[in-house]
Amino acid sequence: MEVKLDKQYPLDVDAARAWALLSDLKATAACMPGAEITEQLSDTSYKGGVKVKVGPAVAQFGGTVDVLEKVDAERKVVMRGKGADKGGSSASMDLTATIVPDPANPAHCVLNGSAAVIVNGKFAQFGGRMMVQVSEMILGQFVDNFRQAAQALPGGTPDAAPAAAGAEVGAASAAAASAPVAAPPKVAGEINGLAIVWALIKSWFGGLFGKRA
Amino acid sequence: MNAPVQTAEAREIALAGMGASRLRKEDARFIQGKGNYVDDIKMPGMLHMDIVRAPVAHARIKKINKEAALAMPGVHAVLTADDLKPLKLHWMPTLAGDVAAVLADEKVHFQMQEVAIVIADDRYIAADAVEAVEVEYEELPVVIDPYDALKPDAPVLREDLAGKTSGAHGPREHHNHIFTWEAGDKAAADAAFANAPVKVSQHMYYPRVHPCPLETCGCVASFDPIKGDLTAYITSQAPHVVRTVVSMLSGIPESKVRIVSPDIGGGFGNKVGIYPGYVCAIVASIVLGRPVKWVEDRVENISTTAFARDYHMDGELAATPDGKIIGMRVNVVADHGAFDACADPTKFPAGLFHICSGSYDIPAAHCSVKGVYTNKAPGGVAYRCSFRVTEAVYLIERMVDVLAQKLGMDKATIREKNFIKKEQFPYTSAFGFEYDSGDYHMALKKVLDAVDYPALRAEQAAKRADPNSPTLMGIGLVTFTEVVGAGPSKMCDILGVGMFDSCEIRIHPTGSAIARMGTITQGQGHQTTYAQIIATELGIPSEVIQVEEGDTSTAPYGLGTYGSRSTPVAGAAIALAARKIHAKARKIAAHMLEVSENDLDWEVDRFKVKGDDSKFKTMADIAWQSYHQPPAGMEPGLEAVHYYDPPNFTYPFGIYLCVVDIDRATGETKVRRFYALDDCGTRINPMIIDGQIHGGLTEGFAVAMGQQMPFDAQGNLLGNTLMDYFLPTAVETPKWETDHTVTPSPHHPIGAKGVAESPHVGSIPTFTAAVVDAFAHVGVTHLDMPHTSFRVWKSLKEHNLAL
Repeated sequence: MEVKLDKQYPLDVDAARAWALLSDLKATAACMPGAEITEQLSDTSYKGGVKVKVGPAVAQFGGTVDVLEKVDAERKVVMRGKGADKGGSSASMDLTATIVPDPANPAHCVLNGSAAVIVNGKFAQFGGRMMVQVSEMILGQFVDNFRQAAQALPGGTPDAAPAAAGAEVGAASAAAASAPVAAPPKVAGEINGLAIVWALIKSWFGGLFGKRA
Repeated sequence: MNAPVQTAEAREIALAGMGASRLRKEDARFIQGKGNYVDDIKMPGMLHMDIVRAPVAHARIKKINKEAALAMPGVHAVLTADDLKPLKLHWMPTLAGDVAAVLADEKVHFQMQEVAIVIADDRYIAADAVEAVEVEYEELPVVIDPYDALKPDAPVLREDLAGKTSGAHGPREHHNHIFTWEAGDKAAADAAFANAPVKVSQHMYYPRVHPCPLETCGCVASFDPIKGDLTAYITSQAPHVVRTVVSMLSGIPESKVRIVSPDIGGGFGNKVGIYPGYVCAIVASIVLGRPVKWVEDRVENISTTAFARDYHMDGELAATPDGKIIGMRVNVVADHGAFDACADPTKFPAGLFHICSGSYDIPAAHCSVKGVYTNKAPGGVAYRCSFRVTEAVYLIERMVDVLAQKLGMDKATIREKNFIKKEQFPYTSAFGFEYDSGDYHMALKKVLDAVDYPALRAEQAAKRADPNSPTLMGIGLVTFTEVVGAGPSKMCDILGVGMFDSCEIRIHPTGSAIARMGTITQGQGHQTTYAQIIATELGIPSEVIQVEEGDTSTAPYGLGTYGSRSTPVAGAAIALAARKIHAKARKIAAHMLEVSENDLDWEVDRFKVKGDDSKFKTMADIAWQSYHQPPAGMEPGLEAVHYYDPPNFTYPFGIYLCVVDIDRATGETKVRRFYALDDCGTRINPMIIDGQIHGGLTEGFAVAMGQQMPFDAQGNLLGNTLMDYFLPTAVETPKWETDHTVTPSPHHPIGAKGVAESPHVGSIPTFTAAVVDAFAHVGVTHLDMPHTSFRVWKSLKEHNLAL
């Protein structure tokens, strides 16, 4: 089952700090809910895992992340993640991420992410119909964490306008949002399925009434 | 004799023989939960097996690490293809002349393919250990669509067949091509089309579906290392064939292999084949010297055991302007999955698909079926039908409707016009089938009268004329002919094993009896109906006749139960075995009554001296005499065995009519009425026939309205749980009305034709015809199944009919 995502997330962080974070794979991975890098295999290759919990069911994907391309001038990174869990699922993701400065506001930038996610096995069989929504939720959480982590980096450009984080704010990120800005972001240790479901229900109802309005 | 002499009629009723709606002998144990299924079998020291399966559909296996699993307490063994290799059991032959991997050998060909097995103390430990087996895959491009599979640059799926330019069924023209099989006369069909004033064509896809019996597949294998014999309890519709194959694969003599099919919770074709799980459990038992149980779960059953259909069909009819069909051409691309494991008679890789000229007198016809490999599970069994007859009936019935719509003819009228006439039987079709008997015109008239067909059409016309009608009304009519009872050995064998069947009857000295059969019931009620045949043939009450099946150590060799073959083949074997006993009994009766055999009349349950009702001997009298005081020179005892090789197939038929109302706002399709008239020849037990028809119609409803096995581009099966896969319950199932005519088969000893599958075969195109008919006024000629509300709603939108 393949899902293609093409997303733009406006961030209230300057491009330099956002790129500094994005080019540090280990730090970026830490922004991914439930993900962590456990081992560096080479300059561009890492070993890591993602833990997803939905109610009592836990899936733990272990695998590798390879940085295929990193272009500082364009603030662009291309990577490929691959993994499998022990319960009969596997997944891969090709991701191209770029940081584009906001010409109107030097303190802001846009994170462009384009990803092709392929999921096989039980996750595709059981969860296929939720794939797009769940992927978007996870990315939403990731971007929120990313924004905070980038803001925590030193050397920020003064903000010209009040923050208008464009990311959808998931329930799991509420705690992170209230954390002090200077402190490292408090990232959810695992992808919390219940939070995802709740956020999905909220956005579904939102869409329902939004369309009718 | 002082006992009151009952009338012949009263004695006949007391026998509960053929024609009686005798209650099912099986039900007492089933409704009390006292059945004995494979999973009920527990043996001392029994271990449990679970299977490591591939999450991906096409991949090379780079590494399998079983250390962690083996280290777990309670785990006895982890076996992979490399472990089976020295035994030459890592691949096995399929019923279709191909080979299939028992455990994936270097490469995975479909999602959830068996990669390794774990044997442990209990099922839970085995399941945990399965997760501890680490398998590294290198993914390969996946091919799901059979048309893509035949492109020149398509990935090679079966590397083990590299360089093989011919297979079991002739030349291979492409690396993913299995066979091309043809029937009929191409030149004659082409000529008919060349001059035809009217031609129609239609593409249709018959989706991949799964029989999904309530009981999944499984086995308990027990090898005795001291005696060197193997007993396996297996969910099998053909235990004797399994015994032969197990013996050939394992090298254990057939005399030391005992296969038992205990109670089976539905088969519908799913339990004909031999699955890797059976082979692995048997190997594990031989290796470990202990009984090993394997029972698959629902997801495994739907994902990996035999599917049905998956036929991409192109049909063409040529006709005169007044609707007489003069030619037929059919091209099929058949998706067989990763291994050709279809269960068909060997000579017919597309089964009996060439029955696709149906109930119609079509002078020229040709069909061609191309089998193709894809990255899907193997199978291709007959799901409650004779081999590929469901696909054939679907094709011809859809095509006749398409032609009727093109000509603006009524769908009943066009059928009447093209029916094989009563006086044409026995009728040889353009494909070479010799239809035994039928009266289609009479049966159609009976149905049209029963439902008041003109009134239904008038109601439909009124609804169509009303733009505000909340519903669309559709009338589906199908007039099908099946070919069942495989089969005559001159035409049918499976890997060289002729498709006869067998019966052994033994009359005990006090007049009760036991019959042992080569078939195996999975819900058909054999224990009830077979006894009724003997009751009528021998005058023994069916209550005292035991019927035993399924144990290869006691039952005579037979090919099993599938393709509606039990009554046409085994039913004939019973009658003929009984007649051998009857002939001997007559001799004994003549001896006892001191008359010549010619002076005896048979009446219900006794031989009586002509003209003197007081002088008679019942079968019980004769049985006692046969053992204890047989006539001089006669061998004692009263028993017989018969192996029946049918001279021809049988051709049951039916006329089905369905009325649907489609909600124009939601696409929901309600079956308002379903009228099913079946002609299965002589009727043995009308109550069981009704039950079979209800079951078959319900399964047909399931297929037409909801069942499908959708795959994504990566080969993930997106419908392998009962959350997604539609099994109708009493809530969804419409009311069924049944009716019948009786046209006995002239070549069958009791004239019976078989019935279990007709309702499935006949009803599926009826539902489709009804749904399409609701759209016919806007020019729709065909809609592919399943007719779910969403898909029907999309059609409503497309044709501006949605409210």
